[in-house]
Amino acid sequence: MSSAMDVMTHSSSFLLPTEETPGKRYALVVLNQNLPRFTPLLWEHAKLRLCADGGANRIYDELPLFFPHEDASSIRHRYKPDVIKGDMDSIRPDVLDFYLTLGTKVIDESHDQDTTDLDKCIVYIRDSASNQETSRFQILATGALGGRFDHEAGNLNVLYRYPDTRIVLLSDDCLIQLLPKTHLHEIHIHSSLEGPHCGLIPIGTPSAKTTTSGLKWDLSNTEMRFGGLISTSNLVNEEKITVESDSDLLWTISIKKTGLPVENNTP
Amino acid sequence: MDSIRPDVLDFYLTLGTKVIDESHDQDTTDLDKCIVYIRDSASNQETSRFQILATGALGGRFDHEAGNLNVLYRYPDTRIVLLSDDCLIQLLPKTHLHEIHIHSSLEGPHCGLIPIGTPSAKTTTSGLKWDLSNTEMRFGGLISTSNLVNEEKITVESDSDLLWTISIKKTGLPVENNTP
Repeated sequence: MSSAMDVMTHSSSFLLPTEETPGKRYALVVLNQNLPRFTPLLWEHAKLRLCADGGANRIYDELPLFFPHEDASSIRHRYKPDVIKGDMDSIRPDVLDFYLTLGTKVIDESHDQDTTDLDKCIVYIRDSASNQETSRFQILATGALGGRFDHEAGNLNVLYRYPDTRIVLLSDDCLIQLLPKTHLHEIHIHSSLEGPHCGLIPIGTPSAKTTTSGLKWDLSNTEMRFGGLISTSNLVNEEKITVESDSDLLWTISIKKTGLPVENNTP
Repeated sequence: MDSIRPDVLDFYLTLGTKVIDESHDQDTTDLDKCIVYIRDSASNQETSRFQILATGALGGRFDHEAGNLNVLYRYPDTRIVLLSDDCLIQLLPKTHLHEIHIHSSLEGPHCGLIPIGTPSAKTTTSGLKWDLSNTEMRFGGLISTSNLVNEEKITVESDSDLLWTISIKKTGLPVENNTP
């Protein structure tokens, strides 16, 4: 392992109960697919909550379903997004009116067809001038995967286009993040919440040499490419995984179905 | 055989379905194993020239999905189409000029060309809303997503293997053939 490279550490602390993550600052972006079952937990962690266009429909329709014993209207008032941004071609008029009335900031970017809704939200978070700290947020995005494959590919490309911004794509089944080639990566595994299934995917360009530790099938200056070997259906074997590569890789790990709190019950 | 339920397995065994247990082979995906079976099937020469339609290859765990996309790249001489409710995906090998005939009552208009494995220095298309003209595409830069089909025939020529994807319409698609 090269010791000259800076280390980047990764930890899925956003899946832990809220009182266990001092000092981390998260922004949540909700895109237009079914909400993962741990969305209320991500919401509690986040200092800034954005809906990308039709993501607002999901918050409105689906969050009350996570709280079947509570009044839907009070859930909708409690889980109010700070911002709704996008080209506004998916959000329902009644949902838009509801959040406008509640005071959500709505930014209509329908003139800009060159960037995805996720893109627009990341630009907002990074460029937010009202609070310098927002530019250092780790961005959690739900609904970026599944559905139309060109949408999914566009969302994966957002990870590659903002390599200096920490972005995690989350679904019910897994999470995905970019491991830039500029750093040696240490990934801390919360084994009650994630794993063991994992993979390293050389999307975009082949890797001539990748080296890992802590996996069931570690790589050792191994070449990876589409059309040849890529690391899928691997398993985490230790609490700390390290990855070093000559190429930007996507790290993906499964999220456990059980053991994950839906929300933080501490008042 | 680590996912099939015992009652389901018994049912199809009883019906006469051939069951091939490959649990010893952990190096290839389930889709891989099925494609090898189809290609190598010696009982009927024609099966090796079948076009393969696969459902359920997308969504769920991303490493599974990536492994299934990789199957398209690993068998570039075999026609494989991955299908979901929302879209289809197929490989356009760089060795050929591609003509894609669009059935506009069934598919589109949303489409894309994705250089998943390696960048493309030059891709040229016709028939799309935003055509490419010796355009470079790469992750980290431009890739063609949220494009639209504009004509009944799309052509694609590239120096790189690309994934073609097009949306499948929610309406207008027959669920089954009702002709007796």
